Amino acid sequence: MSAMRPNIWRLAWQGLVREVQSGLLTPMLLALLVAVSAVTAVGFFVDRVDGAMRAQAAEFLAADGRVESPDPLGEQAELAQELGLTTSRQLTFPTVVVAGDQTLLVGLKAVDDAYPLRGTLGIDRGQNGTQTVERGPPPGEAWLARRAMLSLGIETGETIEVGRTRLTVSAILEREPDVGNVFAQAAPRLMIHVDDIEATGLVTETSRVQHALLVASDADDRRRQLDRLEEQLDAGLNLERPENSQPAFQTAFDRAARFLGLAAVVAVLLAGAALVIAARHYNRVQQEAAALMRALGASSQVIGRVYRSRLLMLALLAAIPGIAIGAVTQLLLAGLMGTMLDVDLPAPGLAPVGLGLAVALVALFGFALPSLVQLKHTPPLRVLNHLAAAPRPASALLFGAGVGAIALLIWFQARDTRLTLYVLAGLGASVIVFLVVAAGLVTLLRRWPARGAARFGLARMARARWVSATQIAALALGVTAVLLLSVVRNDLIDTWERQIPPDAPNVFAINIQPDEVAPLQSFLAANDVEDAGLYPMIRARWSEINGEPVDLDQYEGRAHNFATREFNLSYGDELPGDNKVVKGEFPAGGFSVEREFAETLGWSIGDVLTFRVNGQPVSAKITSLRTVEWDSMRPNFFVIAAPQLLEDTPAQYVTSFHLDEGREGFQVDLLREFPTLTLFDVSRILEEVRTLIARASQAVEYVFAFTVAAGLVVLLAAFGASERQRIHDAAVLRVMGASRSMVFRALWIEFLALGLLVGVLAAGAAMAVGMLLSAQVFDLPASANPWLLLWGLAAGTLLAVLVTPLLGRRMTQVAPAKALRG
Amino acid sequence: MSSSKPLGNQARPVLSIARVTQTVRTPEPLTIVHEASLQIFPGEAVALVGPSGAGKSTLLALMAGLDTPTSGRIELDGTPLETLDEDGRAAVRSGKVGFVFQSFHLIDGLNALENVALPLELAGQRDADGRAREALAEVGLGERLRHMPRQLSGGEQQRVALARAFVGEPAILFADEPTGSLDTATGEQVIELLFRLRERHHTTLVLVTHDPALAARCDRGFQVQAGRVSDWQPDPEALQSPAATQSGT
Repeated sequence: MSAMRPNIWRLAWQGLVREVQSGLLTPMLLALLVAVSAVTAVGFFVDRVDGAMRAQAAEFLAADGRVESPDPLGEQAELAQELGLTTSRQLTFPTVVVAGDQTLLVGLKAVDDAYPLRGTLGIDRGQNGTQTVERGPPPGEAWLARRAMLSLGIETGETIEVGRTRLTVSAILEREPDVGNVFAQAAPRLMIHVDDIEATGLVTETSRVQHALLVASDADDRRRQLDRLEEQLDAGLNLERPENSQPAFQTAFDRAARFLGLAAVVAVLLAGAALVIAARHYNRVQQEAAALMRALGASSQVIGRVYRSRLLMLALLAAIPGIAIGAVTQLLLAGLMGTMLDVDLPAPGLAPVGLGLAVALVALFGFALPSLVQLKHTPPLRVLNHLAAAPRPASALLFGAGVGAIALLIWFQARDTRLTLYVLAGLGASVIVFLVVAAGLVTLLRRWPARGAARFGLARMARARWVSATQIAALALGVTAVLLLSVVRNDLIDTWERQIPPDAPNVFAINIQPDEVAPLQSFLAANDVEDAGLYPMIRARWSEINGEPVDLDQYEGRAHNFATREFNLSYGDELPGDNKVVKGEFPAGGFSVEREFAETLGWSIGDVLTFRVNGQPVSAKITSLRTVEWDSMRPNFFVIAAPQLLEDTPAQYVTSFHLDEGREGFQVDLLREFPTLTLFDVSRILEEVRTLIARASQAVEYVFAFTVAAGLVVLLAAFGASERQRIHDAAVLRVMGASRSMVFRALWIEFLALGLLVGVLAAGAAMAVGMLLSAQVFDLPASANPWLLLWGLAAGTLLAVLVTPLLGRRMTQVAPAKALRG
Repeated sequence: MSSSKPLGNQARPVLSIARVTQTVRTPEPLTIVHEASLQIFPGEAVALVGPSGAGKSTLLALMAGLDTPTSGRIELDGTPLETLDEDGRAAVRSGKVGFVFQSFHLIDGLNALENVALPLELAGQRDADGRAREALAEVGLGERLRHMPRQLSGGEQQRVALARAFVGEPAILFADEPTGSLDTATGEQVIELLFRLRERHHTTLVLVTHDPALAARCDRGFQVQAGRVSDWQPDPEALQSPAATQSGT
């Protein structure tokens, strides 16, 4: 007996190298490679697009963060600078400008030299059309919106009076990044330099000036800098960030990320199925080696460590090229995005590399290790007696490890508990149904009195009912995934695109006085413009819950933002068209709250909320929760009150409508008719959202390639595992006089039967899962696609066409004598 | 039951079994080895002979600690095996026991050198490759170190297996029908090599065979018949008989 310890790594490495060379580990290696590539490609890509989206969203704020206050924000600016943030300050207030004998109410915005910190301005100097500039007007100059120029009847180069000073209008302001709150912009924009403010004499202690502090940073830990600033801001001040400034945009991006994540998750799960099959085969093959090592004196602990170490090495061996493939793929995806959107994607972070490694380890140890763990219990007697075998791994271990790995892998990818649970439930139900139905059908086949080649073909399937059922279930899972992502994906994307139809509202009208509601509706109707409904809008602040004052300290991040800011409440007894009550009754005398908003703030049905409206408390219970389609571009509200709660409160109204391209002049007509109205053109945001959907669907197609690859690996694993036995069986048949063509016929019958079973099962599952995903994950209307059955059968037949000739050739190429010798 | 009979060797036995019985359920209880007792002394070559299905390989598996008996005692190099669990028996096998099997049992994924080095590696011994290289040279395969098992003929594979069996200098070597998968001429070469190595390394040999000529090369033997073990004396004439050219039948 030796006290020395064997070199486990060396033993593990030796076997690994040879098994990779011999092809034994090829299915496992490929499965891991596909899983890691899919996850890292999507990881890198989503990381970069997310960065680009944030950058774009930041343009809507002209900064990475924005604080607004009626008081000057000098101290806060100093604080931000101490934290390493770049700052810009601006003032906005309504004022009247004079040009000749014309006067006009404008929304004045005074900006400094740093403005804008993100994004650009579009101006027309009256010569070369619109040009993009990175800075606001210099001192002494003013930029004025075209609408104001028209109203005042002036052109560039002329002067206007702003308070006590005169400024030259050097350009028409066509576009500014931070248009501000859609509902706060009450007049056409006048932009001047902040240094000119003093000369205007317009800012006094009693002025209605809104100060804004813009902050930005290019540091890697920007998020932390912003968090620290947010923490140190006085109560009542709120740091607005890009991610919650544009809910429509965010919704579109979230969906895109979910589509991509789903595609990658499916690829990983398929790879997992391939790993389970390949690992079982590997386990069978390795029993001889394990028995021999035990006979030669290796302890069970040594055997266990050798195989665990080998798996670890295999994970690394797959992860490194997998991550490289993922990185190259994301470059292709990024190229696609760049050309479509003219967007510079930021460099990817390193997080996807870690994710790729983690996926390789979790997949291997979750799907493969449970099958291999029993190798250490292989009886050494097996070297003399082949009937002596390692005990089968406990079902609970296989099941537990598999489910755990699946849950972890989905969570890695989706970071979404709901999606994780749906995929897990769908997968579990599919596998159980697949197994039971497949076993039943195989039993029926066994009873079918087939003759000749059909007998041999079907006998193989029927001989080992549960093995065949497992194989059918694994393949059906693969075909389901492919069907889901090819057919259902199109349905989902079509439905998604229909969410923002070409005639979606693209202009918001606000500041509508109650007595203007009816005339405005008539005016719009007379001009063939359909409004999306007029809704009252009242500013309010949340002050109490269930009679207790709101404790702001208990809210963080997004919830804190919501808790501290003013809401736009609406009221009515009719549910807006794109809203859906998911719990309770609407409006039933209380408040109806958007579901996710309620979840963020921890509100439930029955809670009594108190809002302060014009200084007066308004209290009522939450009587319903709603879902809202934020990307519908209709006026929508987090909180809608029952009419009796707010109808006596002064309110302004809001609506939105669609204007066809080329009808921009209608806005001027509308404003002439209703001068106090403020119009907000959202066609740019809408266009961005549409482009995002188009980009996302293309990206999904690329990622879909990984799913197909994973499906092929399942095929390879499933048939690779049984190849040796098939070659042996074919040799026996041929020794007994069967011709090569009969062997082929038997194989065709077997695989056509198998393919059709797989196709029917997969079509049914894809239909069910697709409807579930539409309704529950993507919040889209569910609909079944009857073509799936045809596609399923076609996929099953294709499977037979792909596999039969290849496998048949291998089965009949080996001379029977050689095959029988093994 | 058999008696034990040391031939001119009064040292402590390297292997001793007493009243060993092995019963399996298949599904009716079936006794494969029935109250077997024997002793084997250092340096001996002992044959286990008997017809197919008599229980020879089962007895070998029990003596080598590859399986546990239903009852009885087995002591290998002073260690009672029945008191040990499987890992304990593995530890005893490591370094003390060598094996040669009918179907070679080389690991497909490892080359000749790695196969031979395996028992040394498992025992955590240093210079496993160097010693494996020497062992392969000793069996005439010094030029085939990197060949994979499938690239070697049956005889060559069994020579690799012999090198693997002797490389750890085991106290006792168990050979189960070592020529069973080989043609006559190759089988003879392998047996020549086996006995030459045994003598060179002073290794005790327990050889399972149903070939009388092969058994005749051993010092003594035991007959296994329907699970019962009895003394059996090799017939020196069998070495010259025509049957001596038939092995592994």
